[in-house]
Amino acid sequence: MEQFSDDELDHAAEEDSDKEDQDLDKMFGAWLGELDKLTKSLDDGRPEKVKKAPLRQESNMANMAYRFSVYNINEALNQGDAVDLDALMADLCSIEQELSTISKPSSASSHLGLTGDAKVRQKPPAGRSHSTKVGSSNSRPPLASNFSMDDITAQLEKASQSMDEAARQSSTSFRSVGTVTEHEVRSFVHSSRSSINSASASSMDSLDIEKPKSDTDGLQDGQDQPSSEVNNVISYYPTCWMDFFSLSLKQLRDLFEGYMQHEEQAAKQKAEKIRVALEKIKEAQVKKLVIRVHLSDESSKTVMVDERQTVRQVLDSLLDKSHCGYSLDWSLVEIISELQMERIFEDHENLVENLLNWTRDSTNRLMFIERIEKYALFKNPQNYLLGRKETCEMADRNKEALLEECFCGSSISVPEMEGVLWLKDDGKKSWKKRYFLLRASGIYYVPKGKAKASRDLVCFLQLDHVNVYLGQDYRSKYKAPTDYCMVLKHPQIQKKSQYIKYLCCDDVRTLHQWVNGIRIAKYGKLLYLNYQEAMRRTEAAHDWSSLSSSSIKSGSSSSSLPESQSNHSSQSDSGVSETTSSGHVRSQSVVSSIFSEAWKRGSQGNLSHNKDHLGDCGTLPMFTVPRYITC
Amino acid sequence: MAAWDLTVTVEDLGPDAPPLQISVTSDLHIGGVILKLVEQTNLKRDWSDHALWWEQKQQWLLRTGWTLDKCGVHADARLIFTPQHKPLRLGLPNGATLKMRACFSSPVFRTVMGICRVLNLRHPEELSLLRPVEEKKKKKDKDSSEELYDLTDVPLTAGSVQALYNGMPAHFADSPKTEAVYKMLSVSLPSPAPEAIAKLYRPASIVDKTHIHTRWLDSSRSLMQQGIQENDKLGLRFKYYTFHDMDPKYDAVRLTQLYEQARWAILLEDIDCTEEEMMLFGALQYHIGKQSLSQDMVSSCQGMDDLESALKSLEVKMVGDGNSTDMLDNMTAPELNDHLKIFRPKRLTLKGYKQYWCKFQETSISYYKSKEDRYGEPIQQLNLKGCEVAPDVNVAGQKFCIKLLIPAPEGMNEIYLRCENEKQYSQWMAACKLASKGLTLLDSSYQSEVQNIQTFLSMQRSSSAAPTSQTDESINTHSLVSPRYQKKYKPKQLTPRILEAYQNIAQLSLTSAILKFLQIWQALPDFGISYFMVRFKGSRKDEVLGIANNRLIRIDLGVGDVVKTWRYSNMRQWNVNWDIRQVAIEFDGNINIAFGCVNADCKVVHEYIGGYIFMSTRARQQSDTLNEELFHKLTGGHEAL
Repeated sequence: MEQFSDDELDHAAEEDSDKEDQDLDKMFGAWLGELDKLTKSLDDGRPEKVKKAPLRQESNMANMAYRFSVYNINEALNQGDAVDLDALMADLCSIEQELSTISKPSSASSHLGLTGDAKVRQKPPAGRSHSTKVGSSNSRPPLASNFSMDDITAQLEKASQSMDEAARQSSTSFRSVGTVTEHEVRSFVHSSRSSINSASASSMDSLDIEKPKSDTDGLQDGQDQPSSEVNNVISYYPTCWMDFFSLSLKQLRDLFEGYMQHEEQAAKQKAEKIRVALEKIKEAQVKKLVIRVHLSDESSKTVMVDERQTVRQVLDSLLDKSHCGYSLDWSLVEIISELQMERIFEDHENLVENLLNWTRDSTNRLMFIERIEKYALFKNPQNYLLGRKETCEMADRNKEALLEECFCGSSISVPEMEGVLWLKDDGKKSWKKRYFLLRASGIYYVPKGKAKASRDLVCFLQLDHVNVYLGQDYRSKYKAPTDYCMVLKHPQIQKKSQYIKYLCCDDVRTLHQWVNGIRIAKYGKLLYLNYQEAMRRTEAAHDWSSLSSSSIKSGSSSSSLPESQSNHSSQSDSGVSETTSSGHVRSQSVVSSIFSEAWKRGSQGNLSHNKDHLGDCGTLPMFTVPRYITC
Repeated sequence: MAAWDLTVTVEDLGPDAPPLQISVTSDLHIGGVILKLVEQTNLKRDWSDHALWWEQKQQWLLRTGWTLDKCGVHADARLIFTPQHKPLRLGLPNGATLKMRACFSSPVFRTVMGICRVLNLRHPEELSLLRPVEEKKKKKDKDSSEELYDLTDVPLTAGSVQALYNGMPAHFADSPKTEAVYKMLSVSLPSPAPEAIAKLYRPASIVDKTHIHTRWLDSSRSLMQQGIQENDKLGLRFKYYTFHDMDPKYDAVRLTQLYEQARWAILLEDIDCTEEEMMLFGALQYHIGKQSLSQDMVSSCQGMDDLESALKSLEVKMVGDGNSTDMLDNMTAPELNDHLKIFRPKRLTLKGYKQYWCKFQETSISYYKSKEDRYGEPIQQLNLKGCEVAPDVNVAGQKFCIKLLIPAPEGMNEIYLRCENEKQYSQWMAACKLASKGLTLLDSSYQSEVQNIQTFLSMQRSSSAAPTSQTDESINTHSLVSPRYQKKYKPKQLTPRILEAYQNIAQLSLTSAILKFLQIWQALPDFGISYFMVRFKGSRKDEVLGIANNRLIRIDLGVGDVVKTWRYSNMRQWNVNWDIRQVAIEFDGNINIAFGCVNADCKVVHEYIGGYIFMSTRARQQSDTLNEELFHKLTGGHEAL
């Protein structure tokens, strides 16, 4: 891990001396903002005023990301575990690989035809892009440049104004735009291999620089750690690319001297490359977080998360790595210890966005754990959608029909939830009974002395801005009448506040009906799509494992025997529905059989939720065969 | 075989002409009778649409191959020779009345199909005809003066594929008159005057709601058989609340009419909703009305949008700040700078606004003690991303406040911004709105957002004037809500509420606004339930049976509570005993229920249940052909057999 090549460190050092006290992120942001605009106009194929590019202020988010990742590392160290640096390194390498595949020039026919003003403007980034090409072009003949180099120069000047000294000089010496020298090729291959290291090194340096500006208590802690490995891990991609680009700008000067000719075709190729390069730059702009995920056995994992990743994607990669069997129930759970509440992240949510709501000194934890509640709604919809008071069984076929009816219509039908719940008084430890109703437009209650006619209902809250959490042990914390509490709050609220609403149900069943009802009202069909997606993944894993043991398949077919005939229902002709609605039906039946057992077990103790479940992992049939599909 | 005289009235000879006597034998087939008849009239014209109607038996003699004997026609029969297609006055869901030709001889189901084909409404199986509410006779003469759209000249086409011409089905493009009809059908009508809403019949209780459903015509019999005469008025409505395969591309008329039906259901309190929902419905109606008026201009193609937004954002840049050249040089995003009054409510403090110099940049507001301090550190910077923005406006009182609820780890920060005037308010409000979604002033929607807010404010200004229906930009908010809320709130109180809801939907296009309206309507708990007064077997009191697209609901009449729900998915079979007019249903688990209908014909109930089951059989895959036979099998009862 400490294999900085001399070469790398040199670059980093050079960088720093040039940078002085400038805010790296801001600079980089500005520069990328411009590049963004360029890409856009390139894609659109029409000229656009480059000047329009707004200053992109990234510093805020960037700082948060730092804080966050450092915090996690700290925690890890405080706990005394060794950070899983190998895993992290693997992550970094895979990202690196990803980047280098993108950089390979795709042969897609270019719609850009290098004739317009816009293309000329693209030149400067072209120069830069070459440093990122994987040596495909060093044999190309030199080309004469017919373009207005002044224009290019002007543009590049603009773009690199905020860059280091060397880059500025280079812009004046542009005379042609062209291909890559062998030296350059080598240097790229090299740098792509080791850019991570250089980045980590330099990012540490840049952290030092930023310290006075950003709020960096946590950072300092991080730096005080004796372990150099830790420092190594903290990497922030934009910074890394920053190095990279300033480096390449310097080299551009040398490069461009050598080319005098220009041809249409080459120009086209170049335009394509420009595009590719710009994509790559965009990619570099993506934020990544190093996060710590806790497992049920008190151990933890450190993983890197891309800001674009959904919870589902993170779950998939965690499942791949942890070899803990593929099950629908694996969840990422946010535990807000200060407020004693938790929430299962929905699969479609963006993980980084959610984690950025945590405060710097937060004691929140992210758990990777099996939670039967996550998709219980879809395994046994009859218990949630029909507003029944007691649990019951239902034929798989009818479950499908019910789900189809609820989630696939032209609108979402929110389950009719209503009943008496306890509401905690603001700021007091007393709870009052109220009659609540759930509607698609929010949660309402019946005012005193009124009937429950729609027109008289009072809006308790609308669901757009709040999430639903499960409260833990509120009987002792808040003197709740029962332990079955749910909490509604804005995800950004992390401390006690009058804006957090606490509700308490009489029994666990009611609690989960309400929670799921609220989820449906809030997310609607998305939930179902999440479930189907999760099913597809699970099924793929099962298909694979069933090559060795066919028991699963046969189990499913036997349990999906028709149980009741309803003459007139749409599903009555099972043969037809099987064939027409293809994948969904199939996955359904497989699931319901595989999970019916698990659910049965779950529904008995179901929902003595929370900590009791922590040690629960592994109770489901395990398939240690890794997922073979790739998406 | 002996010949005898058959008496036939030929309508085309005039009302006073005596019936014709033709000599026939019992083995003469109907076609032969018609031929003789036509020869005797000596009129040269197209008789192809004419058929024989047997008055006493109230039935058509449509099988030309059958003999008189087989039909049971004897000398005492009085037959009428009359066209099968006659003009009918149709009350459309939007309240307009359209005169058009409809088939009086085929089952209503098919008649509706024909009507829908002319109107360019897909999925006619979801609609049906119903008798109008019995109005007091006095009002009748007033009725005749109402504007009548006329489509009687439009020939009924057989083909189902409609050629488009000028963006409308070809048969509408014939004349300006028919074009106007198409516009009426496909563009929602302006909001009615509040008085007009108040005057219309509203169901006051669930019992009243059961009366509506007694008026449906029988789908398996013809109009003539049900006593409908030429030029009678009937209502055309969506009957089954499952809207299959809604596609804005093909369903302009269908969407508009469905929206109109939903709108009226809400305005007339046919379906209950909460106050919050009503405000949102009001805001959507306002938005849809406004968009419909300017629809002609919006019809630019998709490609133009990109360019437009690009131009717009350029425009924003140029206009956004006074010194645009300076700004371009600095390459900064546009910002707002102004004096605003800020108030942060805390416990135990009186309301007091203090003036600050505020700067809106990116998605944040920074405020400074004074303009001179603007280069220093701000007193506070508020990032509005993810915050809640609500207006607190009273035009008459010149109060333009923006209420911000900004989430923070410690809870929500509540902050009020007070603007001086409408212009300032609309700019800052629009900026706050965009920022809460993470968008900056650069976003192309900024300018339109500002405009939307301004027009809405102007509406409040004009609301004190005489109440009129929606003309251009002025509207009385009372016409957007049901009479209950008209009574509860003055327009002045209502407007800010609707404005608040409007903030969230102002960016929707016309179609998405209509779809949104329908979506919220469909999400109401009572949506799609048709009520019938019934008496269950073994019970002594009247109860209400609600029929929805997936379930039957037994409702206690006294309390209005749901007693029991049965789902169709559990239904094994249902039967109707036509002699005692009782419906019997068997569900899984040996559950049997039986009931008779108190005020409606049990055929209507039977048809509703069968109809919903038919609707659920419609395959997911596209298919233009409607399985008419199955429909009749499921809904027809004994007549179909």
